[in-house]
Amino acid sequence: MELMGKERDRLAQRSVRFVGLAGAIIALLCMLLGGGVEPSSWVATGPGWLLLALALTAIERSGSVAWPIVGLLGGTAVLVALLLIEPLPLGEGVAVGVAALAGGAMPAFALVLAAGAGRSVVLGLATVSSVVLVELLTGGATLLTPYSVAVGLGWLMFAILGYWLRVSLLRITGRIESIGRAYRAERQASEREAQRRQNARLLHDTVLASLTLLAHSGHGVNAEAMRSQAGDDARLLRQLKTSSVPDSAVTILNAAEPVDETPLGHTLESVKQRFGRMGLQVNWHGSARLLLPAEVLDAFLRAISECLENVRRHAGVPEAHVTISDDEHVVRAMIMDQGVGFDQALVDEGRLGLKESVVARLQEVGGSSRLFSAPGSGTTVVLEVPKS
Amino acid sequence: MSLGIDETTLTGIGGRTGVGRRRVRTRSTIAARRVHSAGVGSASPIVLAAILCGVQVLFGVAVLVANWSAHPLPLLAAAAWAVLLFAEATLAVIVSYNGERLPTGLFVFFLAALGVAVLLDLVSIWSVEDIGGYASASIGAGFALLLAIAQRRRREIVIAIAVLGVALLAAILLTTPLTAATLPSQLIALCLACLPAAIGLYVVGGFRAIVQRALDRVLVQSTIAGPRLAFGMLASEELARLDAAAEELLESVADGRRPLPLDAASASRAATIATELRLHLLDGRKQSWLYHAVSESEVLGPTVRLSDPHTLAGLLDQHQRDGLLTAVWLLSSELQRTGISITLGPVRPQPPGAPQDRRRLVPIVIEVEGSSRGGVDPATWDELSKVGTFHDSVKQQVLRVEIECWVADPAEA
Repeated sequence: MELMGKERDRLAQRSVRFVGLAGAIIALLCMLLGGGVEPSSWVATGPGWLLLALALTAIERSGSVAWPIVGLLGGTAVLVALLLIEPLPLGEGVAVGVAALAGGAMPAFALVLAAGAGRSVVLGLATVSSVVLVELLTGGATLLTPYSVAVGLGWLMFAILGYWLRVSLLRITGRIESIGRAYRAERQASEREAQRRQNARLLHDTVLASLTLLAHSGHGVNAEAMRSQAGDDARLLRQLKTSSVPDSAVTILNAAEPVDETPLGHTLESVKQRFGRMGLQVNWHGSARLLLPAEVLDAFLRAISECLENVRRHAGVPEAHVTISDDEHVVRAMIMDQGVGFDQALVDEGRLGLKESVVARLQEVGGSSRLFSAPGSGTTVVLEVPKS
Repeated sequence: MSLGIDETTLTGIGGRTGVGRRRVRTRSTIAARRVHSAGVGSASPIVLAAILCGVQVLFGVAVLVANWSAHPLPLLAAAAWAVLLFAEATLAVIVSYNGERLPTGLFVFFLAALGVAVLLDLVSIWSVEDIGGYASASIGAGFALLLAIAQRRRREIVIAIAVLGVALLAAILLTTPLTAATLPSQLIALCLACLPAAIGLYVVGGFRAIVQRALDRVLVQSTIAGPRLAFGMLASEELARLDAAAEELLESVADGRRPLPLDAASASRAATIATELRLHLLDGRKQSWLYHAVSESEVLGPTVRLSDPHTLAGLLDQHQRDGLLTAVWLLSSELQRTGISITLGPVRPQPPGAPQDRRRLVPIVIEVEGSSRGGVDPATWDELSKVGTFHDSVKQQVLRVEIECWVADPAEA
């Protein structure tokens, strides 16, 4: 938040220039239009005006306290020169100009002086000397002319403004920091959310399958089956939205009993239904409860799904069996069919799509796969993923 | 059926798609920011404005009382002050109790009351032929505009100032003979009526900009704590949006709202959602924290070009990230910068004799167009030294900083 302090100082410096130059120009105009001063006064006040203008210009680039002091000395020199040369009290026009100088242009420096003990001393001295000088310049018999009062109030207002700039920024700093903490939390939550959605690959696979069918208007698919599948997918997406599955939490899945009311449980059930609609009866075996990190479980289920798809396409049988078991270290799935099988020596694994979709995905999460098959005696795929 | 299934495997979609720089900001983020900045930036100006107005009212009323016998219609002038005070007090109280908000209805009422005060004041001094010398509540009306500066649009305040200025000017020109004796006080009266609100606009505008930048900065700063690669806020919302769109479509198919076979429009919608969803689910959507910082920031976004094809920025530790981000921030916050480019990598092999401590050297080059070394905030160099040892050079108005940044070996990390 140091940066904010710097920007605040720069704003104050720019404001000094804006206000100070405006005040100085108005003061000069008033003196010129208001009957003017003695020619010797213009000569005597010249250096003071120049110093003031120099300081007001330079202050935009430099935060040094030297510039306010130079500018105030310049303004004071103008007032003193007028006091020494002009007949007193000043005429109304020139008095107004003096008030604009001492109560508008010079107090602009208060914006950068209302801070710290040293600067406050400069501020106090400048205020008192301005008021006293204007009083001497404009006062006749009466004490406290409207001019000197206005000059005092000018200093007061700019000092308040300078002080406000400093203090309110301190206050806001705290609030902005808390907003920053909120941003960090929001970012983490958003990242987790994205990861969770990204991890739900199996779900997205089935959703994408349905969408692709719909992209072809759903032609060539039984309308009832299509609607039923769309309904399942919509429900899964809804659950993904509302479920609060944490990042790397453990998902419990019971493969044998009716699936739990979890998105992945439903996903498993929907895998079964999906293949059922396409003419492949999937039978789940094994009663092990799967305790797996979400991403491992997802890769595991996707690989199973992929194997079942191969059975559906190539085995030529209406039924497949999936047996899930586990030991201390790994969870294992055995996908078996009694289909036509093939000669492993002749068929490249890559052609079956196993390489990409199954092997790669399992390896990502540290798992492995093995395939056993012979012509006429069906195919068995064993998938293994580590438990932790 | 196989058609659908073939396309289910995401790995089947060829290669990575070029993900261009996106300038799209999500609506919720922007809305959140607006709320924040409205609340933060305008918190206390009303108090300040009330104090300044109070000081001015005391002075104005005191001058009126002092001149009571010389004033042609002092009671009318006093009535003008009464109207003005009533308007100021009403506004200050309601705004304070209304969560620093100034509804348009109240603002219009406030302006109308100011108009009445100015009118009464001008009528009361019409005969003296010296508007500038006698105007009191009219000048107070100029100060009163300070109360509304933080709550209303800049344009509205500017118009109000202009109307007040023109009214005063017209009154002066219609009644006051302009001589050397009267001109200065007419000028000062005009300035006193118009300048306070103008100065207020200037300061509050600058203040708002600071707060806005600070908010942008904390948003950007929140990226440095991220992992090596992250989806980013935009991608996350996008994925949620796609899921919601898919859900809606599928549901409408399931409950028969969209009859099968689908019409062409719905089918094309399904294809679009599927394509976008595939792109989003592909790996490689993740980007480094620096990419997210630049693309989400309103300050860095327009000026900074980032070239980090191997997402090496993710390898920097938090201290280095902080230094790099702050340095770039400082560079981009100076005016007159036309562009900053940041290039990371490629990773160089360890030079012979380098310590074998399993670290890698990531060269970072920052080029700032239209800059000289002298124009750079000195704090920038401190920040850059957090990233690594660097040396800088200026050639044809382009400041070039080369940083040797040592990071943990990605293979070891």
